[in-house]
Amino acid sequence: MGTNGMNNRRKFFKASAALIGGTIAMSIMKPLGLMAQTDSDDNTQEKDKLPLWGMGVDIEKCVGCGKCAEACKIENNVPKEPFYFRTWIEQYTVKNDGEVKIESPNGGIGGLKQSVPDKDIFKSFMVPKLCNHCTNAPCVQACPVGATYISPEGVVLVDDSYCIGCSYCIQACPYGARFMNPVTKVADKCTFCYHRISEGLQPACVEVCPTDARIFGDLHDKKSDLVKFLQKNPTEVLKPHLNTKSRVFYNGLSSEVR
Amino acid sequence: MSKIIFRLLLSFIVFVTAFIAIRQLVIPESFGKLGHYRANSIEDNKARVPFYKGTEKCASCHQDIYDLQFSDLHSEISCESCHPPKIDANTECKIMPPKVEGTIEFCAQCHKMNAGRVDKGVPQLDIEEHKGDQNCIECHNPHAPWELTE
Repeated sequence: MGTNGMNNRRKFFKASAALIGGTIAMSIMKPLGLMAQTDSDDNTQEKDKLPLWGMGVDIEKCVGCGKCAEACKIENNVPKEPFYFRTWIEQYTVKNDGEVKIESPNGGIGGLKQSVPDKDIFKSFMVPKLCNHCTNAPCVQACPVGATYISPEGVVLVDDSYCIGCSYCIQACPYGARFMNPVTKVADKCTFCYHRISEGLQPACVEVCPTDARIFGDLHDKKSDLVKFLQKNPTEVLKPHLNTKSRVFYNGLSSEVR
Repeated sequence: MSKIIFRLLLSFIVFVTAFIAIRQLVIPESFGKLGHYRANSIEDNKARVPFYKGTEKCASCHQDIYDLQFSDLHSEISCESCHPPKIDANTECKIMPPKVEGTIEFCAQCHKMNAGRVDKGVPQLDIEEHKGDQNCIECHNPHAPWELTE
């Protein structure tokens, strides 16, 4: 050993330090490059131009005909069994004794039917449900592989080809808006009909609603129907205490709605 | 350089190269471009063809029915609310809407008395009492419900 051994050890440390230093430098440079990109003016301007999609639901107008749920199934190839829904309608019936009955036979397809006699009803209303497209989406945080994400336009989407079907997102969703598609074997959910809105069309449920109880639009556009709806009506999101900051806004939401 | 150090270095380099190579292979293209997801998946989600074509498309051939409907109380309702496209329909409307049967159940979807529907601008009927033994479309034109047939 002696001086020779010391020399080798020094060389080894030097080489290792260079390697480790290089690796760290590389790993720092990549995020720095990304940061530099997002900081540049071009990109922020482009981001401002993108729409921010949202939906308004007017409970005071919904009659529970089920056209939206039916149209959604046709448009998005959702299995016909009454267990799989991207959107559905619930009828809430508050009885005179304060008991709340919530029902949604076949998601409301074919029209909701009153099941409690008039004399027992304090009030009754229909609540259309769908994915709330949260800004702080619990499902996106839960996904272990990055197969669900928030698109630049604020729509929560699923990457069919990358989903491993672990169902964590289905458990994480506080609105019950996700399900496991029995055909594709991956998580499925409302996409605001992303293929339609990208072409300038309305989502299928909005298209067919006979009473205009659903309003779709761009939250960045002050002239859109949705912004006008939000300005005119006192709206609330579902489960605001969860701080999901969802982008589906309800008018006429009662405290009974869960 | 002694043999053992050389071997150590060599194996270190081999492992690091293998790690980088496998990482490149496993991580799909465009992953991480916009966030912790595959940016190309946005295009995949856009790629589908819409089934519902919209009222304008229907009116381009059926202008007469469109005008009739626009004149009456059902003017707010889009064609495809009652005439949904066939699930196997593709881009064209050749194999499009099945003719709606004027069944009572169909009209009842919106018009049957329900405590959750009152005062919402949709007439609520006790269907059994209203219809007698007739079908809805025997008196009402579904496109213009107040044009009663006698």
